[in-house]
Amino acid sequence: MVLCLATALVHVLLVFLHVAPPNPLSQQYSRQVNAWIFPLFEQNWRLFAPDPESVNRQISARTMHTAPDGTVRVSGWFDLTAVDNSAVKHNAFPSHTAQNMLRRAWSSYLETHGGDDQPRSERALMVQRYLTNIAADRIADRRGGTFESVQLRVITVPVAAPAGGSGPDASATAPKPAETRYLPWWKVASHGN
Amino acid sequence: METEQSLPPCRRAPEAADASAPRHVPGRIGELLTVVTDRPVSLYAAAVLRIGYGLLYLVFLLREFPHRDQIWGPGSPWTPELARQLFDQTGWASILTLSDSRAYFETCYVLALVTSALFMVGWRTRAVSVLFAVVVASFHARAIFMTDGGDNLVLLMAMYLVFTACGRRWSLDARRARLRASAGKTPRPPGGRAAAAGLRGSRRTLTSVLHNCGMFVIAAQVCFLYGSAGLYKVQGGTWGNGTALHYVLNLDLFRPWPELSLMADEHDVLIAVACYLTVLLQVAFPFVLFGRLKYPVLTVLLGMHLGIAVLMGLPLFSGAMIIADAVFLPDRFYRSLGRLWRRTSRRPDVRKTGAPPRGEQALVPSQPAPSSH
Repeated sequence: MVLCLATALVHVLLVFLHVAPPNPLSQQYSRQVNAWIFPLFEQNWRLFAPDPESVNRQISARTMHTAPDGTVRVSGWFDLTAVDNSAVKHNAFPSHTAQNMLRRAWSSYLETHGGDDQPRSERALMVQRYLTNIAADRIADRRGGTFESVQLRVITVPVAAPAGGSGPDASATAPKPAETRYLPWWKVASHGN
Repeated sequence: METEQSLPPCRRAPEAADASAPRHVPGRIGELLTVVTDRPVSLYAAAVLRIGYGLLYLVFLLREFPHRDQIWGPGSPWTPELARQLFDQTGWASILTLSDSRAYFETCYVLALVTSALFMVGWRTRAVSVLFAVVVASFHARAIFMTDGGDNLVLLMAMYLVFTACGRRWSLDARRARLRASAGKTPRPPGGRAAAAGLRGSRRTLTSVLHNCGMFVIAAQVCFLYGSAGLYKVQGGTWGNGTALHYVLNLDLFRPWPELSLMADEHDVLIAVACYLTVLLQVAFPFVLFGRLKYPVLTVLLGMHLGIAVLMGLPLFSGAMIIADAVFLPDRFYRSLGRLWRRTSRRPDVRKTGAPPRGEQALVPSQPAPSSH
């Protein structure tokens, strides 16, 4: 009984240290906290915090196919995000495949790669493979064709600040330009039909 | 428990004068310990969590039926090989990566559906709750890169519910116990009565302690959720200047009804008020739970979650949060809800339900005294 109570209290304490921002206590005991929390009790409640995302990302992909005679053919861009957006629109219960799959794959890519496209860890390579597979699967499903590699293009469009213009911040409300990032060509496990 | 009596008399005298705090603290702790060991608290809330999360997961699995292979199956872009590689790094495990065959996956999917349904109706609840936790953890881990806050909460709750006696009310188990009790067939072995009674007693104590600890952890977990969500928002500039929700309303992936979002976005004062209210409620949440103020706060939160469900297309997340909030409603509330439901359901077909022997009491077989918590 005492054991049970103690476990409950210790668990609550460790969860607290896990969700709280890094502080001297949680840093000192980070090993114990992580050993207990991961993987089952991992959690993160930064829901739209500290600030919600203020950009929409439009992720497209194109494919490359090298014919047996050596000619290289590059396809046009296929808008992966548009597929998600149209799946969400007017749907009371959107699927995780539309809301989370590509979105979280890309945010994980940003986390593991940063600004350049050099995978520096095993995890980064795994996420890169995941992104490649998502793109290849979607293109193969919807457009078909034979290809050996894909390239992604990510256009980041900032959400405009509220139209009202809030006094002192008026200078900051000027719309920021969209940014376009091209990723390297990635080989895929041969897709073709 | 005897602490009050053992206090030296010299300490008693001044206490009668001052506010009674020092004397009552040990007494209170004793009382609390008795409650913790003797009686499982909030059995109805536990049942609501069981029904809620069982149903929610069932609906989720069915909703993703067309996408099941893409999310959890061998055909997912997060291939079984990648999943296994990640498990090696993180220490996770999942029944889904044990085999890459499509038939095995479909079996697991059906198992998950059946488990969720059984958990919801409360059939052999303790065993099924373990199975439910295994299923939720397995499916969560397999598609870890497709999860969001709602999935995370369902996973935590599935795990905590294993420790609670969530099948004591509103379940098939409760129905079976009731039928057995009314038939007068309480399983009482004739021989070795003292030993059996002792065993039963210690088992009851263990169940109570486990249940109460589980419910405490669930409540604390929900408090941490709101508290940290609120405190992280305080650090953000857009929550401070009341424009955060403007950005939220303009995210394409969380805008199933663009016309509706646009309409809401036009009212910038309303948006700012909602921003402040969100942060305020989340930060205040752990502190209002101990008074009557919790009812209006829970109501506003319910409205907020319903808004999120519709406006942002996140019914799963909102559902998980609403069910979690339900843990803070007292048994009194759920009992009256149950009475109301029986009254309304009995009216249309009186004959079909028959006459339940003793109404309310028949529904609560093993509770010694009406709980006031």
